[in-house]
Amino acid sequence: MKRNPLDLAPLFIVRTAAMLVPRSGRADWTAEWDAELWHVSHAEDDTAPPAGQDALIFSLGAIQDAFWIRCDRLRSCAGLALHRGSAARCLLTLSVLAIAGVAVWLCTPRARGVMLRVPCRGAADLVMITSNGYPGTQAPSIPLADYREWTTDTASLYSQIAFYQPAVGRIHLKHHNTVSLSMAVASGNIFRMLGVGDEHVSASSAAGGHPRLYLARSVWRRDYREDPGVFGRTANVAGQSVVIAGVLPDGDWRLPGGVNAWLLEDAQSLADLPPSLKGFVVADIRNAAFPPPRAGWRSMVETRDGITSRYACISLDSIALQPVLSFACSLLLALLALPAVTALSLGDYPRRRQGLGRRLILRRWLFLAAKFFLVLAVVFFWSTDLAFGPVSFDLSTGSGIQALTSFLPLLFGFRWILQDQRRRCPVCLRLLSNPARVGQASCNFLSWSGTELICVSGHGLLHIPELPTSWFSRQRWLCLDPSWLSLFVDPPPARTEPI
Amino acid sequence: MPVEARLSHTAAMILQAIHAGHIYGFSVMAMTGLPSGTVYPAMRRLERDGLILSKWEQQSIADAEQRPPRKYYRLTRTGRATLDAVYKRYPLLEKMIPAPELERA
Repeated sequence: MKRNPLDLAPLFIVRTAAMLVPRSGRADWTAEWDAELWHVSHAEDDTAPPAGQDALIFSLGAIQDAFWIRCDRLRSCAGLALHRGSAARCLLTLSVLAIAGVAVWLCTPRARGVMLRVPCRGAADLVMITSNGYPGTQAPSIPLADYREWTTDTASLYSQIAFYQPAVGRIHLKHHNTVSLSMAVASGNIFRMLGVGDEHVSASSAAGGHPRLYLARSVWRRDYREDPGVFGRTANVAGQSVVIAGVLPDGDWRLPGGVNAWLLEDAQSLADLPPSLKGFVVADIRNAAFPPPRAGWRSMVETRDGITSRYACISLDSIALQPVLSFACSLLLALLALPAVTALSLGDYPRRRQGLGRRLILRRWLFLAAKFFLVLAVVFFWSTDLAFGPVSFDLSTGSGIQALTSFLPLLFGFRWILQDQRRRCPVCLRLLSNPARVGQASCNFLSWSGTELICVSGHGLLHIPELPTSWFSRQRWLCLDPSWLSLFVDPPPARTEPI
Repeated sequence: MPVEARLSHTAAMILQAIHAGHIYGFSVMAMTGLPSGTVYPAMRRLERDGLILSKWEQQSIADAEQRPPRKYYRLTRTGRATLDAVYKRYPLLEKMIPAPELERA
């Protein structure tokens, strides 16, 4: 007999529903639906609607069944995963802490700024010359007189060299319109050398012999309400007429000094400044006779009038990496100090053939690695937030604070990771419970000889010796065979006698 | 009894239907008027809670009648005790789906 294609629709729907059911229960559900569908299709009841309609309604109900089964499985999995002491709950807690740290870092411009790379072209080839090492990169340390000499005497060392000196200035644009700025007086070649002049200076104008003043975009927005008409106008800075020449994007100027306006002076105007005025010197070593400082810095020695002066040349990239380096230093120290606060051993576990499969061993190590990674992320972002977020420290001070605030959390975080790992079942990764003290007091002069913890799912026992001995020095895991499972919390469903 | 307190009217109807002799899913649906998307999950929950038991029909019986084997359900002792307790909460349940002995009476 030829079947109507519409008669096959319920069967097709039931089979589709079966695909939604988890594999473990699929065969049982499919068999029950098939059997019921057969009876629905062959129902002999004249008062009922046509059998085809009944079958269609039944098969649509199977889709609901499948969704219920799927949701029920998800609920039970989520319940197990978030159970107190579970591995998922542990990783979730650490992830939340790490995400909160990242969120605070993203919301704090100062903290975010120090971690971003210097946006200048070829920052690795640009060095800051200081007379005081890394701390000297944060405070002016080079007299203007030295800069003047270097512009002519060190041509073989540096292809270009620029000077800037931060100061607080006030701009008088017109009567009753005075703006306070953290302004730097800089040599005219600084933008060209840093490679930001062509791309980011959004306006320029003929200065007519006056020095050119470039504003940070935030200043232009805050004090001039983004008025484009301000460019080209003459303003007064400390009695000197200047031309407002353009605007620079915020955040690009992460050179030391916290500058938000730049006054570019020509060589003649710089010569009029006092020779003892201290500032920052940035040099380009791209086409110099010496190779670029791969290690981040090199020194320059100058002998003048019998006096030897030493200067450090530190690349801008290396300065930007200072917080990361200080964190890495704390990490190294914490790893070195870790054996002093806890044992590094994770205990004795049976070999693969004796109970723990390769997949379980791999999962356990992945869990350990995930905890290390998350603790590193938590400590790194929160220490960065703490060091650079609330107060505007310079890079060196902030890096020092970061090193101090990250060392102890790293040390005790790693200690917690190892202790937590030792207290977990290697099979289900849940925390072990029900500690029981075992042993006889008189045998070894201790109140007990060890402690035993048990996995609530019945996977095994952990024996921890109270005093390490030559025959039992580390904690030992004992796998329980499946016959023990009926004694534990998650037994198979209980069967009761039918009536 | 904790199960009794949680038993909804739908679950109580299904339990009563099984007690009344409607021992497979389709007949429970027909008796209670509940759709298949409700009945089967509810029966799975009742089985999980130990109130009913399921058993597949023998393949030979199904083969003799040229149909697929069915899954039959029946009450456990706990299920029967729960049902007795549920009558206090849903007094009309017995009249809605009368058990065979009640029908005979």
